[in-house]
Amino acid sequence: MPLNEGLKGKVYPRVELEVTAERVLQFADAIGEDNPAFRSAQGGAALGFGAQIASPTFLTVLHIMGGAEVVLDPDLGLDYTRVVHGEQEFEWNRPVQVADRLGAEPRIADIYSKGPNEFLVIEAEIKDPSGNAVAVSRATLLSRGTAERG
Amino acid sequence: MAPRRFDEVKVGDEIPPLQKVVRREDVKAYADASGDQNPLHQDDAFAMSVGFPGIIAHGMFSMAHVAKAVTDWLGDPGGLRRLKVQFRQVVFMDESLVARGEVVSLDEGTKRARLSVTAEVQRAGERLLVIKNSEAEVQLG
Repeated sequence: MPLNEGLKGKVYPRVELEVTAERVLQFADAIGEDNPAFRSAQGGAALGFGAQIASPTFLTVLHIMGGAEVVLDPDLGLDYTRVVHGEQEFEWNRPVQVADRLGAEPRIADIYSKGPNEFLVIEAEIKDPSGNAVAVSRATLLSRGTAERG
Repeated sequence: MAPRRFDEVKVGDEIPPLQKVVRREDVKAYADASGDQNPLHQDDAFAMSVGFPGIIAHGMFSMAHVAKAVTDWLGDPGGLRRLKVQFRQVVFMDESLVARGEVVSLDEGTKRARLSVTAEVQRAGERLLVIKNSEAEVQLG
């Protein structure tokens, strides 16, 4: 069943993440990241950062939280068992660091089809509590074989 | 370690390949750390029901590996400005994932470099690109 293209531009409720030292270290461990800046406050300080910083793709945590709202939206008509992560982009204005409070309102930036597949683009600007943009996340999910045959 | 300096880098430079064998416990740890608990990455029976021989690694795990290859080369864990990847193949357990990158352009004004990046596995004697048509932008010193 095709996706509901009428949802293009829909903005979802804000998701929030408080960045803790434990979570940042757990993520570093999971991806085999040994740079000391990702592992402790001292390690971050030794490399000139004000705190322990998060591995660049730590933003995945927020992306998963926000993406869940979108993919589980009953109005969208997405069958999650057909979904493949096709593309991912992050842009960073600065590294995420411990004690950051990040928020994002995921938005359906685009829905389109190519051949038998449909593409869902989810975009989120990740901001600090003062509204400064920290990063942008853009994910393209591929829904296999659900496009309407023309 | 100081970030790599702009005048040390030229177009065509390759970053050291970064290799990692992807184990089941890595995928479990990544599921817990990222919050992505999709059964495709944890439940063999489920993965087989959608046509795979067993569980597959998260695409974002491969992306993290590429990011690490780039920041290791850069010498600045906070210097990655942009990373855009296309996932083209899945990664099965115990496969060896290799991330690579090459400098494709340099901007003197901003002291930034753009790199093309890939990640690959060997499967049945063939080299398969897991991540291709992908690029990174970094801040040099």
